[in-house]
Amino acid sequence: MIEYDEIESRMVLKLVYYGPALSGKTTNLLNLHEQLEKKGRGDLMVLDTRDDRTIFFDLLPFYIVSPGGLKIKLKVFTVPGQVKHDATRKAVLQRADGVAFIADSQVVEATNNSQSFENLESNLAIVGLDIDTITLVIQFNKRDLDNIIPGPEVERIWKPTGIPFFYASALEGWGVVETFKSLLELTYSHIDRRYGLDERYGLDMETFIRKLTNIYEPGQAG
Amino acid sequence: MEKSPNDKGDLRYIIGSEKSLRDIISERDLMPLLKMAAGAGACVVKVSDASGGIICEYGGPADKREAGMQRPLYIEGEPAGGIVLLGEEGTDSRLEKIADLLYDSITFLMDSNLKRMLTTEIHTTVLNQSYEELLETNRKLEISRKEYRELAENLERKVQERTFELKQALARLLQQEKMASIGQLAAGVAHEVNNPLGFVYSNLSTLKRYADKFIEMLEFYRSAFKRQEFTREEIRTEQRKWEALKLDYVLSDVYDLIGQSLDGAERVRRIVADLKGFSHIDDVTVTVVDINAEIDRTLKVIAHEIPDTAEIQRNYNQLPGCCCNPALLCQVFLNIILNALQARREGLKLVISTKYVNGFIEIIFADNGHGIPDTVINRIFEPFFTTKEVGSGIGMGLTVIHDIISSLKGAIDVESSPGKGATFKVLIPSGGECNE
Repeated sequence: MIEYDEIESRMVLKLVYYGPALSGKTTNLLNLHEQLEKKGRGDLMVLDTRDDRTIFFDLLPFYIVSPGGLKIKLKVFTVPGQVKHDATRKAVLQRADGVAFIADSQVVEATNNSQSFENLESNLAIVGLDIDTITLVIQFNKRDLDNIIPGPEVERIWKPTGIPFFYASALEGWGVVETFKSLLELTYSHIDRRYGLDERYGLDMETFIRKLTNIYEPGQAG
Repeated sequence: MEKSPNDKGDLRYIIGSEKSLRDIISERDLMPLLKMAAGAGACVVKVSDASGGIICEYGGPADKREAGMQRPLYIEGEPAGGIVLLGEEGTDSRLEKIADLLYDSITFLMDSNLKRMLTTEIHTTVLNQSYEELLETNRKLEISRKEYRELAENLERKVQERTFELKQALARLLQQEKMASIGQLAAGVAHEVNNPLGFVYSNLSTLKRYADKFIEMLEFYRSAFKRQEFTREEIRTEQRKWEALKLDYVLSDVYDLIGQSLDGAERVRRIVADLKGFSHIDDVTVTVVDINAEIDRTLKVIAHEIPDTAEIQRNYNQLPGCCCNPALLCQVFLNIILNALQARREGLKLVISTKYVNGFIEIIFADNGHGIPDTVINRIFEPFFTTKEVGSGIGMGLTVIHDIISSLKGAIDVESSPGKGATFKVLIPSGGECNE
């Protein structure tokens, strides 16, 4: 799925933030945009919304150049969570290299989470991807709220699957970068095996992650 | 928008494909901005792409202009080209401000163009996808519609097949029921025939012993007759022999035995004749039938079934002939009479009346049995309907009657009140045309 142009030394990666409506996908991207340094990324592009709900998608682009000269464009998309926008979700999911599933931790949202996860599974299949092999991390968002699924319950269900999962509050700004980093790690491992990022372009995982997740410190030159 | 063929060979649209500066912003977009910058004091204004190619340029020859400003342009964080401004010497700070303004304007324009392009892309993609899905849905619907149509057609055929099978099964059952009442009849008849046959056989054994005695006596006479005289001794012997053989008794009994045997044989002959008449074994087809005679015939063959306490009253009227298969009629009468016999064993009174009414022969069988409850009276002709205990009847007796009468274009009706008996009224069309 990775777009890779050997002659141009250019690679385009696509990550998708998936999940039920109002689980905080856009908030995750807004938060990344806020927390990460401007260097190495473009601006968050929020396409037109309706009542503050995503109807198309949001896009947070990154751009880094490896020591060996490989130009990597990383595009992080959100999908609209509302059930009726399934066609848009399918379109955005096409050729994804990794997926972060943003679940809503509230107990009342359990059904929506699992329906959305099933939807992810079937849409992946439709666009020719496989839930079992695609790079996937899960974030349990909204941990700042009451009436959320308790941690032990989450662990009981998700630990056996081997899928990395994180707790976050995108609103308060914690757990967001961790989720993103984990997704980047898995994505790196996946493409390094195939394209030899370290061997051919001198780009090891640490550098890759660091370049894409420079935390912005106020006062530091941007 | 990038289009790449997928496995199925149709087009797949990819969202957010890579774009160059030229894709996003055109000379036409840029020119008014560059003119404004020139108007504000710049001599030469250029916008170039990532590889240095000029996208748009405004202003005169650059030879005497020395002061220059540059601003890089980015797309999604990636260097995509830049702005170059040249102005007269000493206007640096002014050019700086113009460059900032121009940069902001171009970046804003790029952003809104990109947004519009992405929106258009996703919109088109979703539209195309939805259209393809609709086509697919439509195709599937068409297929399922076809399947349903075939199913509906098959269903009709299947129903016809099943109906035919059911009709055949019912016909077989009716046939079985006919055989069942005949079987009951046969059992009674066998008993009737066995009785006279029993004493005829026993008489014949006795007669054989008598014959042995006659032969012995006759041989004694014959030897004496050859010598032409009896000795005194022989005369005494003759007397003893005659007495020993009990010939006085034998001679008096022999005619009784023969007479009884002839009677027995005659009874069997009559029973067989009745049965033959009842079964109409010789009349395989339609013939002119005397209904009164057929009822009599039927009563005769089941005479042994009728208990002594039963009273059968016949109110016959003169009837015209009717054309039908007499065996069928006898079967109807047999079933109705057997029904009446089952309805009451002791003290049964069965009144059978016949008369001619408006082209029909009306036969009424009225019994004084236990009658038929109102709740079931409308159902008694239905196949498998029975009020008898499980195992004592399959509920086809009256169905057989109904079936036969329908085939004769007649009608059957029943009236009953519980405890007061049942009255079956049978109408058979009189006259008609016989084949022969």
